[in-house]
Amino acid sequence: MNPAEEIKQLFPGSVVSTGIQTNKPMATIKKEDLLIIAEKVKEMGFDNLSLITGIDYRDRFEIIYNFFSYAKKQNLVLKVVLDHDKPEIDSLESHWKVADWLERETYDLVGIKFRGHPNLKRILLPDGWVGHPLRKDYDMSVDQFVTLGEDGEDIVSTDGSNLLRR
Amino acid sequence: MKTEELLINMGPVHPSTHGVLRFKLTMDGEIIKKCEIVMGYLHRGTEKLGEMKTYLQFVPYTDRLDYISAFPNNYAYVKAVEELAGIEVPLRAEYIRVLTLELNRIVNHLVMIGSLLLDLGGSTMIMWGFRERENALQLFEMLCGARMTFNYIRPGGVREDLPEGFMPKLNEFIKDMEHRIDDYEELISGNEIFMMRMKNIGVLSAEDAISHGMTGPSLRGHGVNYDIRKIEPYSVYPDLDFRACVRNECDSFARYMVRIDEMRESLHILRQVVDAMPEGKPASQAKYGIAPLTGAPTAVSTYFPRIFTPPPGEVYSRIEAPKGELGFYVVSDGTIKPYRIKIRSPSFCNLTAIPKMVEGLMIPDLIAAFGTIDVVLGDVDR
Repeated sequence: MNPAEEIKQLFPGSVVSTGIQTNKPMATIKKEDLLIIAEKVKEMGFDNLSLITGIDYRDRFEIIYNFFSYAKKQNLVLKVVLDHDKPEIDSLESHWKVADWLERETYDLVGIKFRGHPNLKRILLPDGWVGHPLRKDYDMSVDQFVTLGEDGEDIVSTDGSNLLRR
Repeated sequence: MKTEELLINMGPVHPSTHGVLRFKLTMDGEIIKKCEIVMGYLHRGTEKLGEMKTYLQFVPYTDRLDYISAFPNNYAYVKAVEELAGIEVPLRAEYIRVLTLELNRIVNHLVMIGSLLLDLGGSTMIMWGFRERENALQLFEMLCGARMTFNYIRPGGVREDLPEGFMPKLNEFIKDMEHRIDDYEELISGNEIFMMRMKNIGVLSAEDAISHGMTGPSLRGHGVNYDIRKIEPYSVYPDLDFRACVRNECDSFARYMVRIDEMRESLHILRQVVDAMPEGKPASQAKYGIAPLTGAPTAVSTYFPRIFTPPPGEVYSRIEAPKGELGFYVVSDGTIKPYRIKIRSPSFCNLTAIPKMVEGLMIPDLIAAFGTIDVVLGDVDR
């Protein structure tokens, strides 16, 4: 049976809808029940968390998990819709280790917070960076400059006038 | 004896980190207690740039991700767009694409093995590897005029047909490579010092490797029989005879040997592609929701939809790049530009396994294990 339908049968209250995303079974689920469903998904043999994508739709965030099972050679897509004001979701780091960095990247670039993540800080951009670039309302007219501090830490400022002097 | 722990910074500028990557190592004497990875020095915001370009304009940006093997980057993105827009590709174009993908796989593994050996202190292999790589790069140059950033594979086909004199040169390359790989094996694989540096070093169980998101040749060194070309066949791979190269030892040596095996398999595929190369057009001439062009069409634009609008939707499409699973998640909102592009790069995910892999090893072993993971920092930082 199609794994998305299987999840719907097991958790009828948590699955909003099921469908197909270009040959891959997809289930849209409620954000409160992500952890319970993720546990089941892991039990079903989906050992590879291939990708976490966060998308800003201006009125909402969508976060998409692509799973793959090496044993069954099956795909599964989970989609969760988040409020735009308070994008927060549970972390899957305890089930798939790769989620550690994938979630940090999503936090860094899209600004979605992952509850229960052991080390949720920026990964690609320096710590003091203002804003999350992949949000649609990110202000690209403001230049941000990164310099090195005394102890090798990154210093971010919007003033680049003294950069050449250093 | 109890010693004080010491924090050592390796990188960001260090020849063995293959670019700008920084390891923060907590050392207990010579033993690595904890390894933290700091990255982002090469972050160029490729995903954000993609939202501001048309679908075709984004192709050159994919070249700059994994610059050692740019054809697979082109192809992974183009494949996602083609799936999204429903663009059909002529058979000849698919064969030319597979030809470039497999040639690029050989080039990638040559660089990987060469730089691995250089990190370990042997300088012969990088000379040999770059000697053969040069021949392949000349083939690429014949194809599209560029040696590393090709911009060759496009939605609907490839940019230009095979030039005159390409096939004889390719045959020469294949014939030459066959015994070159035997040479490499003779030089490296049986070398006692090399084996001592590689065997039982950087061991990680298959479950851990999968949980850390390792893919591609690095994962196949852990006994996982999987290859996206096999399990989710794309292009003309179903018609070609090849096998997924798997080794079971789970150590650095196994991951190195998978690369050697894969080069042989790629040569095997190339020979079939040369024999089966069909006649026809190198690009689709059909029109797919194209906005009206202004100005006279040039020689290139007669083949390609320069501006097109895929129907709203989203797609995740992945291929077996030389370094692992390379995927593009493309969201279309029905305009000429993508709404969101997400790049799932193999180097980024493979790198997550390093801290676990090197715990309890020494710094030289970190370099050996890191070399077999095969990371390009353009691909990690995007």
